[in-house]
Amino acid sequence: MRKVSLVEFSVNHPKLIVSLAIIFTLAFATQIPKMKTDTNPKNMLPATSDVRVWNDEVEKTFSLYEDMIVVGIVNENGILNKESLGKIIRITDEILKINGVAWRDVNSFPTITNVSAEAGVLKVAPLMTDVPQTDEEINALRKTLFENPLFVNRIISRDSKTTAIYVPLEKGANGKEIADRMREIVNKEGGSESYYIAGDPVARDTFGADMFKLMAVFSPISGMIMFLAIYLMFRNLSLSISMMTVAMISITWSVGLLIGLGFPIHIMSSMSPVFLMAIATDSIHIFNEYYFRYREKKNKKLAILETMEAVSRPVRYTALATAAGFAVLLLMHIIPVKVFGGLVAFGTIVLRLLSFSFLPAILTFIKEEKIEKAAAREDIGLSRSARLLKALGGFGAQKPKATVLVSLVLVIVAIIGTTKINVNNNMVEWFKYDSEVRTADRVMNQALGGTSLGYLVATAEEADFIKTPEAMRYIEALQRHLEKLSVVGKTVSVVDIVKRVSKVLHDDDPQYEVVPKTQEEIGQYLFMFSMSAKPSDLDNLVDYPFQKANIWVQLKTWDAQAMREINKSVDEFKKNHPISMELKPAGIAYFNLVWNDEVLYDMLRGFILALIVVFVILVFNFRSVKWAILGSIPLLFTILLIYGGLGFIGKDFDMPISVLSCLSLGMAVDFAIHFISRFKQRIVDSLQPVFSGQSPAPCTPNSELITESLLWTAARPGKGIMRNAVLFASAFSVMMFASLTPYITVGAFIVSMMMLSSILTIIYVPALITLMKDWLFKKNAITQNQI
Amino acid sequence: MRTSLLLVLALLLPLHAFAATAEEVVKKSQAAFLYAGKDFKARVMMTLISKGGQKRVREMTMLRKNYGEVGGSQKYFIYFFQPADVRDMAFMVNKYPAKDDDRWLFVLAINMVRRIAARDKSSSFVGSDFTYEDVSGRDLEDDTHAIVKEEKLGTNDCYVVKSTPKAADVDYSYKISWIDKIHFLPVKEEYYDKKGELYKVFTADEITDIKGLPTITKRTMKNLQSGHTTEVIFAKTDYNIGIEDNLFSERYLRQPPKKWIE
Repeated sequence: MRKVSLVEFSVNHPKLIVSLAIIFTLAFATQIPKMKTDTNPKNMLPATSDVRVWNDEVEKTFSLYEDMIVVGIVNENGILNKESLGKIIRITDEILKINGVAWRDVNSFPTITNVSAEAGVLKVAPLMTDVPQTDEEINALRKTLFENPLFVNRIISRDSKTTAIYVPLEKGANGKEIADRMREIVNKEGGSESYYIAGDPVARDTFGADMFKLMAVFSPISGMIMFLAIYLMFRNLSLSISMMTVAMISITWSVGLLIGLGFPIHIMSSMSPVFLMAIATDSIHIFNEYYFRYREKKNKKLAILETMEAVSRPVRYTALATAAGFAVLLLMHIIPVKVFGGLVAFGTIVLRLLSFSFLPAILTFIKEEKIEKAAAREDIGLSRSARLLKALGGFGAQKPKATVLVSLVLVIVAIIGTTKINVNNNMVEWFKYDSEVRTADRVMNQALGGTSLGYLVATAEEADFIKTPEAMRYIEALQRHLEKLSVVGKTVSVVDIVKRVSKVLHDDDPQYEVVPKTQEEIGQYLFMFSMSAKPSDLDNLVDYPFQKANIWVQLKTWDAQAMREINKSVDEFKKNHPISMELKPAGIAYFNLVWNDEVLYDMLRGFILALIVVFVILVFNFRSVKWAILGSIPLLFTILLIYGGLGFIGKDFDMPISVLSCLSLGMAVDFAIHFISRFKQRIVDSLQPVFSGQSPAPCTPNSELITESLLWTAARPGKGIMRNAVLFASAFSVMMFASLTPYITVGAFIVSMMMLSSILTIIYVPALITLMKDWLFKKNAITQNQI
Repeated sequence: MRTSLLLVLALLLPLHAFAATAEEVVKKSQAAFLYAGKDFKARVMMTLISKGGQKRVREMTMLRKNYGEVGGSQKYFIYFFQPADVRDMAFMVNKYPAKDDDRWLFVLAINMVRRIAARDKSSSFVGSDFTYEDVSGRDLEDDTHAIVKEEKLGTNDCYVVKSTPKAADVDYSYKISWIDKIHFLPVKEEYYDKKGELYKVFTADEITDIKGLPTITKRTMKNLQSGHTTEVIFAKTDYNIGIEDNLFSERYLRQPPKKWIE
């Protein structure tokens, strides 16, 4: 066995092994200062993906900005007064000066294009260049605002309490820095107004900054908690230190490698240190067994070698299963998930390598009396936890039918729960309910047309078609149709401009606020408008040859589902109103939908793949399909219970959950591997005398032996399993206190998964073995070779 | 009179003192650029090019007549040929020093002449990267002018003038112009935004002598921030053709005389 020889080598040359580990670690550590983060949700999919290519094209055709920050100003007594209006002008002025702001296209009271008629003079000019001084002037402004549908719900709320400044950003600008500067600006103004800063770039870049903070704060805290937990379990400082050292080494290697290869840190990989620390606890089985063995043998080196002999197989296979669970993620489409999978898979392999080299080497440095002191506490008969575990396993072994019946009921309940699962992603909900970002988003969505933006691009077969009354009326009808949806706050299209110009040209007669009858009229109105308006006013809505029109659809929620509703509604409209124009969704809201679907599809694929991989590993490990099936039952049961729970709580099935589903298979199966391997070995060890002197002979263990072995397994390796689970859970429990919901989700998911799967393994594996012993131990079922 | 006296004096002084003031340079530039001849006519082909390379064409005949000195009143008459659906639309501007322009537009589809407010001079001219001011000019007194340096730009010896608007009513914080020392046409202009970053660049791409008056017959305005570009070509350019005053009336706005617009 090569692994054992590596162990032997390490035990014989501990100093060399430790020095090598230090050198490698330092080499990888040099890469870490180059770290970059990437929280742009666009980068979840590759730049060459259809949706991104299409969105880029749309942005280019209509001179759109990728990013927009919305500054909301709310005055409970109404915004239309001298003071508030003065503030709007001053704030807008300051915002125009911020670096990274595309100032030429900022829309606010002082900059937005207004088409109006005053005393027979047609005016296309910014809405408000100076603060109105008299009541008449303010009333005139109020009238202008509310009679123009391009303003209502966009820059003024219906109750006139809220206004918004729309600030597009230049490519590559840092949303958080700009938002911070905006906060300074509005804080200087103060007063009775409240200010809100919302929009995708703020959410994304704030998330990035928070992620960095969380990574820096939570990883060490998780580490400390684990350190403490290990110490409480074994009362041995050097042991806790060596285990944490192993975790640190693997984190440094894998994160160093990732950064060295030029990858940025994404949301998922920012959690990788906690994952690796938790996975490192698998070596608890080594320590667990080592202390038992040392008590029996009283020889340090011999105990190490024997321990490694006993646990090497399960430890190797659990590592393989864990690594495979993460490696499956490499086959996904979502880039951060891929990177995360590769990162943790590599880290897991490093961990295992260290388990067979660095750890044994370290064990040789621990003083004998310290081990003796610690080992004294490890007694199956005396230890309270071991007795409890024995009772748990005993319950399963002695009342197998009742146990299985209970589980069947639970399965049914869980299945009902899973039907309630809602697949959704919502970037803004990655922040907590009362966080600044989410509050701003909520306030703006309540008052105005909505902060999430989708586009519908209408493409005609020939140029100038958009200028026909037919196309205009079609688009208008489509807008009214979409506005019936509760998720749609506002729609804007070139038709709104044409109607506005028509009305204004006809002395503000509302009768003329309609689509004109001829193409010439429409063309001339648009030309008139473009004679004085900002180029972007028209460019954002129609392409140059007037072959394409862009309908803006403001959504009141960032739910990916909202865009699906719109697509459905558009399809329905198309069916009832055929026209030679193609309608295609675009924009960030559309991207979120595509990405959401991609996550679901990926998850399904990944989950099935992980299931197959884990099963194959089990088959290899147990060299038996039957035992592999047995080993996967507690795992599947755990996942089903968690999904059922998700359905009942109403938590959206989002990206972090779907990723966790795949990799949790690889982690949760560990317990079954340990339990079954050690149980079978125990049987063989007990039968050893029978085999002695002969070549492996056929043999079937009797019921008493099975029950006795199950109890032993539940108590001794079972303790290792529980320790592992508790350590794992304690590392992740910290995440539940994070300020970002994906971390909370991950924390809660892992904690419940670890606790459930360890307990289920200890209860259900004995119950199932007892029930199915005839099937599992058929004649000639167990031989020495099989283990 | 005083100007010519100064000019004589200047000629008598040694060479190093032969430096024009910034105001003089800008005034001469305006004379050459915006006030050349008694009147002026050109067929203007304006191409708007988006960042993505899409093009929109505006084709028009532009007529101008001066009333008074350089910096004084002017009248503009613009007749549109393209885009096709605005053919026969006509646009008239009366420009006054130190006062808002008067603008009228004839909208064919509704057969109406409409007055158009002109408060915002820095708004885009027919959707191009040129503003109304770029077409008809700013009042000399609206900016403070300073000669930054003198340098050769290509083959042109230029004054480099920095013009800073006194009021904050325009998009840019200052403009740097390269004004040719011989014909005083701007060869290049750079507009800096309020953050002090370069955002618009004007270039005179072709200068042709027409009736002895150097004229920019090809020019480009490029917005570096939006990536949008406008190219303008003057064809059939002519000066001193005797445009009558009554051309600038509502009657002709509705029905422009063929001889002027063709």
